[in-house]
Amino acid sequence: MHASLSFDQAPPISVPYRFFIAAPWFGVMAGLLLALSGDAALASRWTPEALALTHLVGVGFMLQAMCGALFQFIPVAVGGNVWSPKLVANTVQPMLLLATLLLVAGLLFSRPVLLSFAVPLFLLSLGGFVVVVALALWQTPATGMTLWSMRMAIGALAVTVLLGSLLAEALAHGLALPIIDLTNVHLAWGLGAWALMLLAGVSYHVVPMFQLTRPYPLWFTHWFGPVLLLLVIAWSSRLLLDEAWWTLAIALPLLTILSVYAGMTLWLQYTRRRKVHDATSIYFRVAMLAMLAFAVSGAVFLSYPEFGNDPRATVWLGVLAFAGVFVSAITGMMYKIAPFLNWLHLQRLGAPMNAVPNMKKMIPAEAMTGQLRLHVLAVLLLLAAVWQPGLARLAGIAFAASCAWLGWNLIGAARRYRSFRDQIREVVLRC
Amino acid sequence: MTTVIDGRELQPPEPMERTLEALDKLAEGDDVLLLLYCQPHPLFNILRNSGYAWSEEIQPDGTREIRIRRAPG
Repeated sequence: MHASLSFDQAPPISVPYRFFIAAPWFGVMAGLLLALSGDAALASRWTPEALALTHLVGVGFMLQAMCGALFQFIPVAVGGNVWSPKLVANTVQPMLLLATLLLVAGLLFSRPVLLSFAVPLFLLSLGGFVVVVALALWQTPATGMTLWSMRMAIGALAVTVLLGSLLAEALAHGLALPIIDLTNVHLAWGLGAWALMLLAGVSYHVVPMFQLTRPYPLWFTHWFGPVLLLLVIAWSSRLLLDEAWWTLAIALPLLTILSVYAGMTLWLQYTRRRKVHDATSIYFRVAMLAMLAFAVSGAVFLSYPEFGNDPRATVWLGVLAFAGVFVSAITGMMYKIAPFLNWLHLQRLGAPMNAVPNMKKMIPAEAMTGQLRLHVLAVLLLLAAVWQPGLARLAGIAFAASCAWLGWNLIGAARRYRSFRDQIREVVLRC
Repeated sequence: MTTVIDGRELQPPEPMERTLEALDKLAEGDDVLLLLYCQPHPLFNILRNSGYAWSEEIQPDGTREIRIRRAPG
């Protein structure tokens, strides 16, 4: 039985790993940029430094990690086949890395020509990625809301990239477009319909599986994704109908469903029969608490314009969303996916099952917990720095250090895979 | 005889490891009943390639009952 184990649908281990290993270093760059820029970076969301920081985290960290996770997640969670994953990853990732660096440099140094170079690279790399992933998601025989959430999310990624490209071209060539409104729509598609949709869809599968909770209620999984998509579409209509009452009519339900998702995940964690307090569980708890804080803050800013009109209010929401919610949840996921990848691929080598090391040996628990503590400290410092600008440099250093530690932990996991693989090959050859 | 493996409170890859161990000892006509809250696609791939058949039923509490036996023929 064991020798015939086959994971023909799983991509080569290098495919997800190359994205995972690159992602944290963009977080390091973001932290260092903040440390160098100091308090000016967080004065408003429109400073060149803030725009560069947003894209270092949103495109550099988040998108890299999410692309890598999708390559692995599609076969494992929804039984889909991604066409030539190694070829796609080898083509997409270098273009995406270069495009991200050009975009960030273009925004930071206000150099339109760099933005113009970045746009075709984004369109080619992410266009190709979207097509390949969409084909895999539409051809799988699987069913369920994880699959539908992933389908909606990949469509939203396409919209996000198109809107981002339009914005970059508008900045590069001075096109007469409503830049602020378009940016808000681009952000809603990127953070809401792409990132949150994917996070929620993946949660339906991995929260019960890895955190040993009961499953999300069916009514919730059936409604959350479609309602989120409808609200993001409605938010986009603000380009045509920019009335205060309409903004409120969309934003309040949006904040409500965020709270329901976060509250539901916390409730499932709280009521599980077997308590697991590993780094992934705690990272998810941090992410959900940050999401609740985002929803409450957003409601306060909407209800009390004297707070909401302060440019730092949006920066506060940005820190909660990017560093608090997504960097936390994605890091927690990578701490499960990387050891699982190691285990899965070591099994393929044909050694007796007891020769394959336990998943817990792939990244030391103390290393993950230590990095988690530093990340939480970094998020708290970032939040404090929004209102106490003197803390910005320290917050930047803490964020850079926590991302570097994450990067080191993931490199360690890849090294351990190689070392265990070589040991197992020796055993198999001797048999 | 049915071997029941309740994987709902086990962290991956333990449910898969226990299932594969149980299948190694499976006698003719016996089956394995695996209880999970998710669809184990990596396990399905192994079963497909190793000559096993399975059926799946979802219970109202979200539990998936996956019954595995040797494929006929």
